[in-house]
Amino acid sequence: MELNAIQDSFERVAKRQKLSSSKSKELIIQVGNEIEQALARIQSGSDSTVSVDQKTVLTELKAKLQVVGSHTHLEGPQRELNTNLSRHQKLLEKGLHPDISRACVNADLDRHILNQIIICHFYFEGLFDIVDCLIKEAGEPEAVSLRLQYQEIHQILEALKSRNLEPAFNWVAANQERLKESGSDLELKLHTLHFVDVLQNQGRAEALRYAKTYFAPLASRHMNEIQRLMCSILWAGRLDKSPYPDLVDPIHWETIAEELMRTFCNFTGQSIRDPLSIAVAAGMEGLPTLLKLANVMSAKKQEWEAMRQLPVPVELGKEFQFHSIFVCPVSRDQCSEENPPMLLPCGHVLCKQSINKLSKGNSRNFKCPYCPEDASVAQCKQLCL
Amino acid sequence: MSSSPMEVDAQLPNGNSIAAVAAAAAPPSKFGKLAESLKLEHQLLRVPFEHYKKTIRSNHRSVEKEVSAVISGVSDAADSDLSRDEAVNQLSSLVSRLQGLKRKLEEGNRTEHLQAQKCRTRLEHLECAELENMSEWNSTRLKRILVDYMLRMSYYDTAVKLAESSNIQDLVDIDVFLEAKKVIDALQKKEVGPALAWCADNKSRLKKSKSKFEFQLRLQEFIELVRADNNMRAISYARKYLAPWGATHMKELQRVMATLAFRSSTECPLYKVLFEEKQWEFLADQFKQEFCKLYGMTLEPLLNIYLQAGLSALKTPFCYEDDCTKEDPLSQEAFRKLAQPLPYSKQHHSKLVCYITKELMDTENPPLVLPNGYVYSTKALEDMAKQNNGKITCPRTGEVCDYTKVVKAYIS
Repeated sequence: MELNAIQDSFERVAKRQKLSSSKSKELIIQVGNEIEQALARIQSGSDSTVSVDQKTVLTELKAKLQVVGSHTHLEGPQRELNTNLSRHQKLLEKGLHPDISRACVNADLDRHILNQIIICHFYFEGLFDIVDCLIKEAGEPEAVSLRLQYQEIHQILEALKSRNLEPAFNWVAANQERLKESGSDLELKLHTLHFVDVLQNQGRAEALRYAKTYFAPLASRHMNEIQRLMCSILWAGRLDKSPYPDLVDPIHWETIAEELMRTFCNFTGQSIRDPLSIAVAAGMEGLPTLLKLANVMSAKKQEWEAMRQLPVPVELGKEFQFHSIFVCPVSRDQCSEENPPMLLPCGHVLCKQSINKLSKGNSRNFKCPYCPEDASVAQCKQLCL
Repeated sequence: MSSSPMEVDAQLPNGNSIAAVAAAAAPPSKFGKLAESLKLEHQLLRVPFEHYKKTIRSNHRSVEKEVSAVISGVSDAADSDLSRDEAVNQLSSLVSRLQGLKRKLEEGNRTEHLQAQKCRTRLEHLECAELENMSEWNSTRLKRILVDYMLRMSYYDTAVKLAESSNIQDLVDIDVFLEAKKVIDALQKKEVGPALAWCADNKSRLKKSKSKFEFQLRLQEFIELVRADNNMRAISYARKYLAPWGATHMKELQRVMATLAFRSSTECPLYKVLFEEKQWEFLADQFKQEFCKLYGMTLEPLLNIYLQAGLSALKTPFCYEDDCTKEDPLSQEAFRKLAQPLPYSKQHHSKLVCYITKELMDTENPPLVLPNGYVYSTKALEDMAKQNNGKITCPRTGEVCDYTKVVKAYIS
């Protein structure tokens, strides 16, 4: 799509519109002037000796206005404006997809399910006041426990933005067991941030006191990191020129926020990425292909609706791949439990049905279609992807 | 899913083949993808343009109308015998009428200017979409789509709040939908006045698209008169407002006229339905459709279109298995229900996602097979071997083996 062409075409419309409205203004002023002049002539007649006949003046005015107001002034620019307006509309329709709903199977999506999905999305984004508004307007029930969960994490993240670690520490303390189980070093990372903060803003003595209180319990698991931190005390006040300039990098505040969110989602069983964003983004990637398909299939509307599988692949980026799918390079079939992928001795993989065909129903050895190596069914191994 | 429901090379009646679409669907470059996705934004550019066009037209019309009214006022004055004072009065009133018109025109120009600015803002918004800021741009787009959904569902407060909090007021059409709100609210209160006024406002365009919305409104008014047993008024109403539609919609007209005989208490299903409450809901829906058509919007909310396409592209039989990863939207019950009537995606190429790292395996990070037949990515197994003295533990079966025992699989 040529955005520039659209922009140019729009500016042409805007120019014509200005021209047309300035013509309208001129016309109004001109008609006004003529009438005022006539008015003045009639009025001047009242105090002069020369008698002016109002009838004559009005008739002259009528004749003049009939010429002025014959609309020819307006018609020209207006016609050009109209031409440009319809040209721009056509350009939009040609350059973009005028109706993306053509690619819809037209399944009626349940409004309540949609609203619930949207509510979860807003929780994920921390837009709690918008959820309140939506719940009220749409009359949807509130997901109280989900809300509390997300409120907690968003309070933690909000506090982090103003460099307040307290809510994060509270959460870590409350979830200590699970964090330990999962081998997370969140606690150390939070203490590191706090320690550096203390060292920079409150000096060595405070930093030492902090280290004594909090590092000891972590020593057994994170000796190296703690040694680095203790050494950094020597460079108090000029950490950026120390061997440990990375300690003062503000990026840590962002990564810790991400990690907190990730751990939080893990513990609460939520997806780390917002599912609605994923689905809509996948729709954006898939729609162009589906629209092409809709153009080709326009004559077969029923088939479109009864379709169990799309007739063409819709290629999505790798951020949308959640499942291992094996398509047999020989039969082009998607593998399933009944027809699993099999590893040949040469390392190539075919589906079980293809191997059965090649070996004539397990009756003889066959050659791999990719390399001339011989194989027997017994040598093939079923794969679990 | 062993065979596809349709032959890959099926020839369609219009001479195009599905294979051609499949070929065109070959993975486009990232840049091509971006350009393709911008082409989906017709509504974003079209709606403010339609709004702008409408303002231009109505401004122009009011100038034309007023100027010819003034001119014919002069004619009238010239043609009648006026005294001097009468003439002066008449002309002065025309002059002030013109001044009023000039003010109105200036105000109209300001509106035009604002709307043109809105059109430009949207073009600029599309222009600033680049690969570097894609994630931010995508999240704005999702917000836009959600505001569109709220507006179409008549959740106006939520729409306004969301637009304000994300600072995208110029990228959504709240003002346009507020115009629709008046009509919808009235229809819900069983008033057709605002809807008829809207029809009159857009008369020529509705006629062009052969809309019969106005006829439907008139029919409903007639039905209400019959319901109230106001038969004489109903008949004169029909003569005035329904008869003109006779030429094109005779059948419907006859059916509705028959209600005069059947009355609102009728049990005859053909006529009973005309008296049902849901006729008003139907009118509101009908209005929404006409309204969207007029502004060049899609009839479905954008959210529904994007979701259907996205869920279909994501839908595989694996999504419905118990061990579906929670990162897949289709692991959630709500999304599964939405996707239920949609077709499955089709795959032409194998895609292996490592069970351990969740990353896509490719030539850089090829799949390896354990002696038990389970497949993991090279990266995952290398890491595991390094940490465990060359031992691999299959995370799904718990079996232990040596890293040296794994073999490479070639998957094309």
